[in-house]
Amino acid sequence: MNEYIPMQAEIVDIDIESPNTYLFTLELQDEGADFRYLPGQFVMISVFGLGECPISIASSPTRRSLQLCIRRAGRVTSGIMDCLVGDVVGIRGPYGMGFPLDRMMRDVVIAGGGSGFATLRSLINYIADRRDEFGRVAVAYGARTSQDLYFMQEYKSWQSAGMEVAVTVDIGDELWKGNVGLVTSLIDRFDLTSGSAAICGPPVMINAVAEKLMDRGFHRADIYISLERHMKCGVGKCEHCSIGPYHACQDGPVFSYDRVRDAL
Amino acid sequence: MKAFLPKDQLPLLLDALGERIEVIAPVSTDAGPAFVTWHGQPIDLKDKPLSPITEFLLPHKEALFTYIQEAGRYTFKEEEIPSRLLFGIRPCDLHAIALLDRIFGREPPDQAYFRRRRATALVVQNCTSPGKECFCAGLEAGPEAKDPCDLQLTDIGDGFLCQAETPAGILILNASRALLQPALPGHLQERTKLLQKARRAMPQDRSCSQIRQAMESADWEALGRECISCGGCSFVCPVCHCFNILDLGVPDGQRLRCRDSCMFSGFSRLTGGANPRRTQGQRLRHWYQEKFDVIPQITGLPGCVGCGRCHLTCPAAINRVDLSVASRLMDDSSEARR
Repeated sequence: MNEYIPMQAEIVDIDIESPNTYLFTLELQDEGADFRYLPGQFVMISVFGLGECPISIASSPTRRSLQLCIRRAGRVTSGIMDCLVGDVVGIRGPYGMGFPLDRMMRDVVIAGGGSGFATLRSLINYIADRRDEFGRVAVAYGARTSQDLYFMQEYKSWQSAGMEVAVTVDIGDELWKGNVGLVTSLIDRFDLTSGSAAICGPPVMINAVAEKLMDRGFHRADIYISLERHMKCGVGKCEHCSIGPYHACQDGPVFSYDRVRDAL
Repeated sequence: MKAFLPKDQLPLLLDALGERIEVIAPVSTDAGPAFVTWHGQPIDLKDKPLSPITEFLLPHKEALFTYIQEAGRYTFKEEEIPSRLLFGIRPCDLHAIALLDRIFGREPPDQAYFRRRRATALVVQNCTSPGKECFCAGLEAGPEAKDPCDLQLTDIGDGFLCQAETPAGILILNASRALLQPALPGHLQERTKLLQKARRAMPQDRSCSQIRQAMESADWEALGRECISCGGCSFVCPVCHCFNILDLGVPDGQRLRCRDSCMFSGFSRLTGGANPRRTQGQRLRHWYQEKFDVIPQITGLPGCVGCGRCHLTCPAAINRVDLSVASRLMDDSSEARR
């Protein structure tokens, strides 16, 4: 089988998360396609004629629809943003190692910055649906402005599932009544001192949050980060995403902090 | 099966093979020997072509598939892969193919590579006169074929000692039985003698550990300032296999795989502009780490075959073996030339 030939997926719904970020709901067209994934995994999505790019899965496997949250950033993502409901895109995957759920079934801190929050939504909804398998859960999320906050209509449902949810923005405005500041400042509000953590965002934010959690008593090996890397093949061959002995596409994108701290 | 092929019979052997299969052989061109489809051109088996034979397994550009759009849905077609006989490849390149087999064979196996690989017969020419740049002996990649091939030839003076290694190799020899003479014990002795001599002719100190040692003491940022980021070392390296995937054509077109190089600044750059390997020094270091650290971890073998092509081609004259820069070692290199 030619691994590079994608499945076809129809865009069945588009939600606007921010002016430059849409949440696409996809339906695979290939009958009998075996598409099972875990939070933290990604797909290679393509618009034929523009190319392919890696996008992490934003939906939880506990729910029926497959969703990708895409920000207009380059040629392929712009091409996807220009698609309409009913259009077909190519999907390969799912690829990579997701979050190690069986090792996270205790207290969990989830921290996201910017578009890195998309992959964490998959984990949050997974935990919300299998709530009794996890301990206390705290979610910290920061975006540039209130306009850039994703999944706003879901925070309430996470809170009703017993999660602590704290949100902040870098730049406040007259409509925003919430926190202004860095994600790290939100961590101070949580009283969790051990457990596991999932972080995705810019490297500076990942390091700051991880250091703060380690000061609290979290072990380096229990902090899982999802890394962004340039990827082309998704199957460990093209070498674009190599980090020392690892390929982010196969050994990651989720790594424990102790394995890739130097690569950040 | 062993046989002796007199030198003047070689074109007739290639003729006989060319009638059955596309033969890729090293022919003389104005720019030195090059592997091309053989149509009777003069064969050059003396020097090693600069462009490695692995380009016939991982082409500079190939279509992974063709997409055809109809009413908003797509159908996909794969290109027919030609059956080929690669003639006169060197033991270093053969070793590189063995490495690529392991690298592309990791789960999930790269079928685009293996479709070509499976349709390819390999005829190796053992190296009796290695080039000045060669150091395969220190890396156990030559001068004698050590990896699976179909047929190996050794130039023993007035002809070639041919040794078939597989049923396909026997078929290749049987295609032109009339041209062959029986192999004699003297031929085998000559082969052993010449290959031992070739092994001794190569520098004995250029091994994996020597290069690793040079890596430890290298001033990568200084080397990075000399490097002009041309990617030449990657494109002549038979083990380098970095690639890019891109589309050509709307609404119908091809998804192409093109060779790429980790020497280019955009290779690891993210969409937002951040780059995990920002400097050329970091990129050079990465190139070496892949070959002497990562590939050994993945395949159990050094990721360098000692062909010395990177050294030959580097326009910045970075000594790719001891990681020195020629201009800074002017006196030493003039000494070495004498």
